[in-house]
Amino acid sequence: MTNRRNILKGVAAAGALGTFGAGYAETVQKLARGKWSGEKPRDAHVVGNSIPPEFSVDPETGDVTLNPNQAMSYTMCIGCTTMCGVRVRVDKAKNKVLRVAGNPYSPMSTDPFIPYESSVAESFAAMAQAGPGQGLTRRSTACGRGNAVLEQVDNPRRVLKPLKRVGPRGSGQWQTISFEQLVEEVTEGGDLFGEGRVAGLREIRDLEAPALEGAPEFGSRANHLVWMNCVDDGRDNFVLRWLKQSYGSNNFTRHGSYCGGAYRSGSGAMFGDFKAMPHAKPDFSNVEFVIFAGTAPGNAGNPFKRIGTLVAKARADGNLSYVVVDPILNNAQNGPSGERARWLAIKPGTDGAMAMAMIRWMFENDRYDAKYLAQPSKAAAEAAGEMSWSNATHLVIVDADHPRFGHCLRGSDMGLAIEGEAYSETDPFMISSDTGPVTGPVPAGTSAAPLFHEGLAETQNGPVAVKTALTLLREEAMSQDMESYSKDCGIPVDKLTNLAREFTSHGRKAAVSSHGGMMNGSGFYNAYALMMLNTLIGNLNWKGGTMIAGGGFPENKGPAYDLASFPGAVKAKGLPFGRNVPYEKTSEFKAKKAAGAAYPADAPWYPNAPGLATEWMSSLVTGYPYKAEALIFRNTNPIYGVPGVAHLVEEMKDPAVVPLIISIDPFINESTAISDYIVPDSVMYETWGFTKPWGGVATKATCARWPVIEPKMDPNAEGERVGMETFLIAVAKRMGLPGFGDNAIPDAEGTLHPLNRAEDWYLRGAVNVAMIGAPVSDATDEDIELSNVARIADDLKATLKPEEWRKAATIFAKGGRYENITRSYQGDKATYAFNPPMLVWNEGLGSFRRATTGTRLPGTPAWRAPEFSDGSNVSDHYPREDWPIQVISFKSPLQNSYSVGAKSLLRIVASNPVNIGRDLAAAHGIQTGDMIRLTTPGGTLESVAVVRAGVAPDTVAIEHGFGHRGFGAEDITIDGETMPGDPRLAAGVLLNDLGMLDPTRAKAGVWVDPVSGTAVRHGLPARIERI
Amino acid sequence: MDTTRRGFLGAIGQVTIGAAASVAGAGQSASAEGNDVPHWGMVVDLRKCIGCQACTVACIMENAVPEDAFRTHVSVYELVKDGQDPAMVMLPRLCNHCDDPPCLPVCPVEATFKAENGEVLVDASKCVGCAYCVQACPYDARFINHETQVADKCTFCFHRTQAGLLPACVETCVGGARNFGDLNDPNSEVSKMLRDNEVSVLRPEMHTNPNVYYIGLDDVLDGRVAGEAAYHPEMADTVSHTEGL
Repeated sequence: MTNRRNILKGVAAAGALGTFGAGYAETVQKLARGKWSGEKPRDAHVVGNSIPPEFSVDPETGDVTLNPNQAMSYTMCIGCTTMCGVRVRVDKAKNKVLRVAGNPYSPMSTDPFIPYESSVAESFAAMAQAGPGQGLTRRSTACGRGNAVLEQVDNPRRVLKPLKRVGPRGSGQWQTISFEQLVEEVTEGGDLFGEGRVAGLREIRDLEAPALEGAPEFGSRANHLVWMNCVDDGRDNFVLRWLKQSYGSNNFTRHGSYCGGAYRSGSGAMFGDFKAMPHAKPDFSNVEFVIFAGTAPGNAGNPFKRIGTLVAKARADGNLSYVVVDPILNNAQNGPSGERARWLAIKPGTDGAMAMAMIRWMFENDRYDAKYLAQPSKAAAEAAGEMSWSNATHLVIVDADHPRFGHCLRGSDMGLAIEGEAYSETDPFMISSDTGPVTGPVPAGTSAAPLFHEGLAETQNGPVAVKTALTLLREEAMSQDMESYSKDCGIPVDKLTNLAREFTSHGRKAAVSSHGGMMNGSGFYNAYALMMLNTLIGNLNWKGGTMIAGGGFPENKGPAYDLASFPGAVKAKGLPFGRNVPYEKTSEFKAKKAAGAAYPADAPWYPNAPGLATEWMSSLVTGYPYKAEALIFRNTNPIYGVPGVAHLVEEMKDPAVVPLIISIDPFINESTAISDYIVPDSVMYETWGFTKPWGGVATKATCARWPVIEPKMDPNAEGERVGMETFLIAVAKRMGLPGFGDNAIPDAEGTLHPLNRAEDWYLRGAVNVAMIGAPVSDATDEDIELSNVARIADDLKATLKPEEWRKAATIFAKGGRYENITRSYQGDKATYAFNPPMLVWNEGLGSFRRATTGTRLPGTPAWRAPEFSDGSNVSDHYPREDWPIQVISFKSPLQNSYSVGAKSLLRIVASNPVNIGRDLAAAHGIQTGDMIRLTTPGGTLESVAVVRAGVAPDTVAIEHGFGHRGFGAEDITIDGETMPGDPRLAAGVLLNDLGMLDPTRAKAGVWVDPVSGTAVRHGLPARIERI
Repeated sequence: MDTTRRGFLGAIGQVTIGAAASVAGAGQSASAEGNDVPHWGMVVDLRKCIGCQACTVACIMENAVPEDAFRTHVSVYELVKDGQDPAMVMLPRLCNHCDDPPCLPVCPVEATFKAENGEVLVDASKCVGCAYCVQACPYDARFINHETQVADKCTFCFHRTQAGLLPACVETCVGGARNFGDLNDPNSEVSKMLRDNEVSVLRPEMHTNPNVYYIGLDDVLDGRVAGEAAYHPEMADTVSHTEGL
């Protein structure tokens, strides 16, 4: 190689002044000054203020030479919910993160990711130009937001000391208090604000007193402490230990119900689990055709970067063609890819009409996988060479008067002798006999069963009408004709049939993918219908089809330590605050039934849903089913995120409604802003945690996060940095809660170890991650040095056993534990298969009664117009004539709900004008740049219009992530000093301000999907006017 | 609310992109075979760009780019052709490190120069901040850094390539659209890409002999379509030359 450092070779000496003409007067002036007229950069020649390289790689030998002033550590980004493995570059002297790139061990950041055995030095060389493939093959990335969010660490509006409100809630006035005062006040309560006595956490934790008098099903008063989380950032196991096993409250929820919960619930219906809500993703690298409906690969989603990388590669170099079905054209479509990447406009919230039309066409044209669907059991599927199976052939009781209406017919119904309990796993599902209805139902066996059947089953209690699940799906699909579906979704019939034809022309190498775009009034059934298309072609668990995540290496229960249980743990009990359980379990139901009318309940219940933050907002302000006494917001922001919640905020600010609100957060967001206390917390690269991919990764992967810089929060009196763990440990110890202190964590021999600091928990978690299966190798001295795990080496040695610490060090040195990519497939099948059946008919769904109506809903996918909780159509309340357009939100490639403080993002996109289609704009005389007013039944906003071709007719689309009041958009006063609101942080508008209450609810609550209980932010009825 | 009429109007408008054309013999590496002095070049595969702006932000972080400027960014367009569905085009833009750079001869103090590996660089110690180079650049790739008061631009991350590393924008490119390497090495990834694909350059009529090539550009931006920056009303797409990219 040549000497590249000879950079100025061949450059002539600085020019002669004599060549200047008259026009150079200013130039001459500057020159004549004889010194630098601006600030002199670090390098006075060619690289200015660019940061010195982190290391150098010798192009001949591949040797890595570190820059001693910088540290390179593998940890985790939490700039969005994907939580990618990243490489953080730190200025050691300044304790400052300089830049972030990807972790080449991590599938979230690299494709193909490097073998886990690679040394840290090899991982550095892999990303270098002087490395193999010129660094391009194994390049490892951070996205635009991931590159920017390091700015949050030094955000001047970070909360670094405990805060207590001054004056009324939400006034923006705070005082700093000591950590010790914080712990004392929230634990012991008292007249904390001069507004009267407030119960502290100690008093509320009464495990004997009922949460609601006369209703033991709700458990104890301890449930009056309710905890709202955002996403599991790898610290939730710690939270749940404190909340459920130590404190004894059963009330914990996350943000899913105002994120993408409708999709997850719809998927959960098919995968047979409404609580964990399993979901599959296309095998992006090998699939040939994908319909993305309600998700936008490369524009947003989870895992955002990985999908972006794989889809870009597959459409350019591979065999992938896809269609993005969306009311708005976004970055998921790609013009240069031509037919490989298409956009199809759809009316907001009508994906179910499209999906049911496709299903209808598939039935009419025999374009479903009959062989796959005919297998009635796992054994039959295996015998037939299938990788999964479904309940398509199972018989369902359809007699509306039958007590088991909507349930599948079982052996015990027929009087068969069964092992175990009736309707348990051992009670066989019944199928139609091959030889016709005369012989009656027979137990599902190991061979194919008839797909379609309807008739009477002679049960023990007489004849009962039954149909196969697939018959019921076909009936549902046939209930509208193609023209009618087409009219509803706005996609022409020929495009619907072409879509269905193309989808069914790739064998199993086709897929439908969805996500947050399902957050509309029909979202649950829309998602279930979309997902059912995958089952109709039998693509699950196949290479090139759909696959579930490979999972991870759990930190909380492993071979070394048991972090999931401990002596003295309590069991949290009681129906949850968000009413995601059957109404029929309540005393209210029993009382009303005894009084003659069991329905309607006082408010909706959602037995087929997970925990619902959306419904918690209603529970909090209405005190139904019971009143909360204390609320903890942990890094979450429902006051910004829930559409329509603005109508409930004033009640939330009233201490009589929820007497104590504590936030654990690094920032004062819109929700934190209405709390009584703020516990400062760590940001990004200062924190601990373990996460696994939630989808889209075929191999096991656990990402480890550790403080690669010194956290900035103030220390407490004991010298520990204040943060969530410090706070919870201190409260637990003050209250004498079990599971914390000197004897808290059992090892494999049962010896108890302390839990006095965050390190006690996370370092032992790392040992578990390292020891599962074949343990990882010990970290070498070189690995520890290069990754700067040296920073925490003393803690590792002091906390862990001598044989453990280098194993844990490997987990941090490599930023987690990752199974090698070669484990993705076994031949043409996914290594990690999902085994339970796909539910063409979901019994839980098909048999429950809506608490607010007493009526039932279909147990199969269906296309249904949006409804309010009383069962009335939304369009009956807000007719099209009055509300002719629909508003949707869409995800930004850059901003999310908590990234606005990363100021570089606002340099790129400073605001979010509303997107309006050409025809709608023309009809209202709107041109790009005009101010417009949008009005829904829930609210009004004014903004600037951008007129585009890529917006569906009669639709207005608003990018999410702007329109803030928190994060410094408004004034913050602490100890009398005001940091003025920054209008850049307030830029733009928030669609959720247009969100609606459900006008049919007697107890105030926002409009949600009737099954999944999830927020509605797509398809809000609206009017538009130019102003 | 900050969505003032003025704020948006000032920045929105039709954007004319320089006519793109296929480049005959783009694989200039062939003629230079045997030359072991690397000649850096970038091949941008537009089919792979997802518009995530990772490159834009990584460049800001790596090079401490001042707040009112970009050394590189991705222009996002919604393109509408008659009779066709609208389409998104993400166009990463940066200094093209031309072999015949128009910015070079206009420099009165010879601060701008062509470095050994082909980079067009500015010796800040010589630059007087006259901005003639900023005016001369057909790619809007230069700006006067208001902090240092000298001409500023992409260096192909000169400091990183010297250390055997990739430019920050390439290292972090999520879609794998940006590819960087030695055009003099016929076996380099970028040389292979130039051989295997039809490529274009921006502003071919300027005869700058740029070292930034695009795959997938000529199909969409053939000079007859009008594009509108769809999402980025306040990006510096249409601002004056002194603001850079």
